[in-house]
Amino acid sequence: MDSGPYYFVKDLPLHELIAHEFISTFVKKGKLILSLDKDTYEETGLQGRPSQYSGRKTMKFIVSVDLMDLSSKLDSKKYKRISWAFKEKKPLKFDFLLAWHQTGAEGSTMMSYFSNYRIQERQPKIALSTVTDLPCPVLRSGELRGEPEASCSAQELFEWLGAVFSNAELNNEPDNFISTYCCPQPSTVVAKAYLCTITGFILPEKIRLLLEQLCRYFDEPKLAPWVALSVQGFADSPVSWRENEHGFRTGGEHLYNFVVFSNRDYWLHLAVGAGDDCPP
Amino acid sequence: MPAAAAAYERIVYRNPSEHHYMKVHLEFQDHGIGLNAAQFKQLLISALKDLFGEVDAALPLDILTYEEKTLSAILRICSSGLVKLWSSLTLLGSYKGKKCAFRVIQVSPFLLALSGNSRELVLN
Repeated sequence: MDSGPYYFVKDLPLHELIAHEFISTFVKKGKLILSLDKDTYEETGLQGRPSQYSGRKTMKFIVSVDLMDLSSKLDSKKYKRISWAFKEKKPLKFDFLLAWHQTGAEGSTMMSYFSNYRIQERQPKIALSTVTDLPCPVLRSGELRGEPEASCSAQELFEWLGAVFSNAELNNEPDNFISTYCCPQPSTVVAKAYLCTITGFILPEKIRLLLEQLCRYFDEPKLAPWVALSVQGFADSPVSWRENEHGFRTGGEHLYNFVVFSNRDYWLHLAVGAGDDCPP
Repeated sequence: MPAAAAAYERIVYRNPSEHHYMKVHLEFQDHGIGLNAAQFKQLLISALKDLFGEVDAALPLDILTYEEKTLSAILRICSSGLVKLWSSLTLLGSYKGKKCAFRVIQVSPFLLALSGNSRELVLN
C-alpha cells in the first residue's frame, strides 16, 4: 500500500508559508500554529495567547494565523504586520516536514516550488515481521472491561500491544528476577502474527485507507479474531486532535489504537499524556 | 431475525495506568563494560536502595526488554514508584568503580507509546 511520500525542507523561513502563492497552490484550508517560548513570542511582536499547560508563570505562547483569512486580504494591516514580523522583526527558520494530499498526480510541484531550499523527497519506512506462537489475550468485543475467566479488558490489551511491539518476553514466571510481566489471562497461543510498522510523516487520508483495507480483511472468514491499527503523533507537535494544544510533560504521547473484530465491532483507544486535554 | 441495533459505549479513564514505563540507556565513560540482565537489575535495585532504603529497593520493578550490546532497557515500575526510580537513576554515578550515567530516553504511562519515538526520526 502506498503510504505516500513526504518532503523534508531544511531552514525554511516562516514567511514562505504565508506567501500568497504558497497558500493558493497548496492550502485548501488551514492555520499556521506556532508554539513559542516567552522570549521568541515577545520578539516576534505577534498576537497570541498563553499556553494552557504553562503553569503559574507563563513560559509558552500559542500564535494562530488563519491562512485562508490572510490570503484573501493581502492589503490588510494584519497581513502587513505578520509579514513584517516574519521577514524583518524576527525572521524564523525551521526544518519542516511537509505532506500534501494530492488530488491530481503531480508530486513534483512541491519539489519545484521549494527548489531554492534544500528539499528532499522521503518515503515512510516500512518494517514487517512475523511472530510465531504468540500468547494473545482473549477478547470479547462487547466486553470493554473484560470478564473474569472469560475475556481481557481493553486496558490489558493496550499494555499487551505495547509489549508485543517492544519485543518484550510475554511468558515470565511470577518468581522471575528480571521481569514478572506475562500475557493477560485468559489467553490463547496464536500460531502466527504479522506485525507491520510504518514510520514517517503520514497523512490522515492514508491512514484511513489503511484502516479500510484492514476492515476488508474480514470480508472472507478468517481464523484471526481481530486486527489492530495503532497511530502515534509526533511527541513535540504543538497540536494533537484538531487544534487541541499538545503539551510535553514527562512524555509527549498522543496516540490512538483501533481494534477491529471479525464481526465488524471495533474498539478505539485514545490516549494522551499529562500535557493534553481529553481527546474528542 | 433482525440485526441488533448498533450500540456505543465510551469510558473515560483519568490516570488509569498502574504502571509507568521508562526507556533507558546506561552510558559508561569508558567502553567495553558489559552487564547481563541480572546484573542490570541488581544495579537498579542498589540505586534505589542507596537513595531510599531497603523498603523501596523492593518496589515491583520489571525489565521488560534488555539489550546487552547497547545497554538499553525498557523498565516497568508501579506508578507510585516512578519518581523514586527516576531520581535513583539520575543520582547513580558509578558501577564497580567505573563512571556511568543513565540516560532516560522516554517515559510514558502507556507501553505502546514507547514502541516509537519521533525524536529519533533520522532525517539528515
